[in-house]
Amino acid sequence: MFGFLFKKQQQIETLIFNYIKNFRKTQKLFSDAFTSCKADPFCSNFNFLTDQTHKYESRGDDIRDEINDLMYGKALLPESREDIMRLIASADKILGHFEKILHMILGQHLVIPDFLMPKTEELFTSSMESCDLMLKQIETLFSTQQGIRELVADIDLLESHCDHIERSLLRMIFDSTLELARKMEVKELILMVGDISDQVDRVSKRINIIRMKRIV
Amino acid sequence: MFSLLGGIFLGWSLGANDASNVFGSAVTSRMLKFWTAAVLSAIFVLLGALIEGQAGIETLKGLTQLTLQQAVVSSVAAAVTVTVMTVLGLPVSTSQAVVGALIGIGILNQHFNISGLGKIVACWFGTPVGGLLIAVVLYKVVGAFYNRLNLTMIQSDILIRCGLIVGGSYGAYALGANNVANVTAVYVGAGMLSIFMAALIGGLSIGFGILTYSRKVMETVGSKLVRLDPFSALVVVLAEAITVHIYTFVGVPVSTSQAVVGAVLGVGMVKGIKTVSTRTLANIGIGWFLTPLVATGIALAIDFAVHLHYIPGV
Repeated sequence: MFGFLFKKQQQIETLIFNYIKNFRKTQKLFSDAFTSCKADPFCSNFNFLTDQTHKYESRGDDIRDEINDLMYGKALLPESREDIMRLIASADKILGHFEKILHMILGQHLVIPDFLMPKTEELFTSSMESCDLMLKQIETLFSTQQGIRELVADIDLLESHCDHIERSLLRMIFDSTLELARKMEVKELILMVGDISDQVDRVSKRINIIRMKRIV
Repeated sequence: MFSLLGGIFLGWSLGANDASNVFGSAVTSRMLKFWTAAVLSAIFVLLGALIEGQAGIETLKGLTQLTLQQAVVSSVAAAVTVTVMTVLGLPVSTSQAVVGALIGIGILNQHFNISGLGKIVACWFGTPVGGLLIAVVLYKVVGAFYNRLNLTMIQSDILIRCGLIVGGSYGAYALGANNVANVTAVYVGAGMLSIFMAALIGGLSIGFGILTYSRKVMETVGSKLVRLDPFSALVVVLAEAITVHIYTFVGVPVSTSQAVVGAVLGVGMVKGIKTVSTRTLANIGIGWFLTPLVATGIALAIDFAVHLHYIPGV
């Protein structure tokens, strides 16, 4: 009934859900690029998918700027403004990781060695799964607020699992007979993929703090 | 009409200073535009003064018998006290300054309503305590209700924002109803104004102070409240408004600043944090004790000066 009085707040809410939608799209493109071309970075789709990932990552930045502009137009309480800005900035770092990983593969003509493939796939799948849970958590924060703590625990488990795989992959790399330069290249890639779940964990904990702050 | 200027000035400074207690946090945290807050305050102050200002006016006018000249002297003495204490950087209550000035006039007249004064002093003690207790109860009760609502982040934001606007408007209403007596009660006591005219002129002068000079005070004083989380800020505003409104029913003008400090302390107690520094509390204590004494002294001095006569050749 009084919805017209809170137009800006409703716009922010809509933009946040748009951001989540855009995040999912970027994640899908990144995932397609990584899985379809992991063995051959020169496959026909890789360039296109990398460009598309960049395009959607930029769109995410635009949505973030739009949210910030609205919030500086005195919509929302200062505390909420700060929380939302930090949350989105934090989630945005993950999109940045997606883009960097694809550019690293493209720019350095990186091919993941066969003996590392199964574990790398496992690391990648778990990282993507943690991203899905994080997006669910953000949606929950702006809707029912139910189950945020459980999601924090699930993400934490996945992050630990990813750390474990990451360490094991690094051992495999340096136990192998690959050239030192290749070892360093692949190590850097594995660390970057591993960073995804670390950043997701940070976002997830931030969401939990935002929720806790609103319990009197 | 000229003799009313002292009261109008007092009302103006009261409006400029005390609006920050009701809308300071909302304005400084940019939840509300200054002009929206100022216009809402001015309207509700005037409404409060007209609807419920009578009780306080009756109490203050009954403290002593006043001539028109003494009414002017007490108004000017209270205004000077507020200015001096503000310059000294001490928190000051206009209500205490006015009563202090009336005590000075009472001493000169050798007539004072001791039981009325006793009631007022008891309320001075009761203001911060009332603010504290009401804030504790509100925090617990409203907090439990708020948690049960299970609101989303945006819904919670909207609710608190609306609460601050409604609470601030209620605070402004209570301010007008309670504090208008400080501004024009002495003129009713001197027989110059009717109660309705006193409430109207007092309410308008407080509103004028809010509209013309409260922005700067809001920006400085209000920022102290911003450090509280939004829910606590809402509880403080509501507790202050309820406390001041209760004393309006009792018919005693009290300090909104002291009610706010009490409420901030109460919120701190519930949350287990220190919300007011010891230094601030000490300054408030000094201001609380000194304001009526200084006002009494200034009223006596002004009255003495007014009665000095130049005798040529002596």
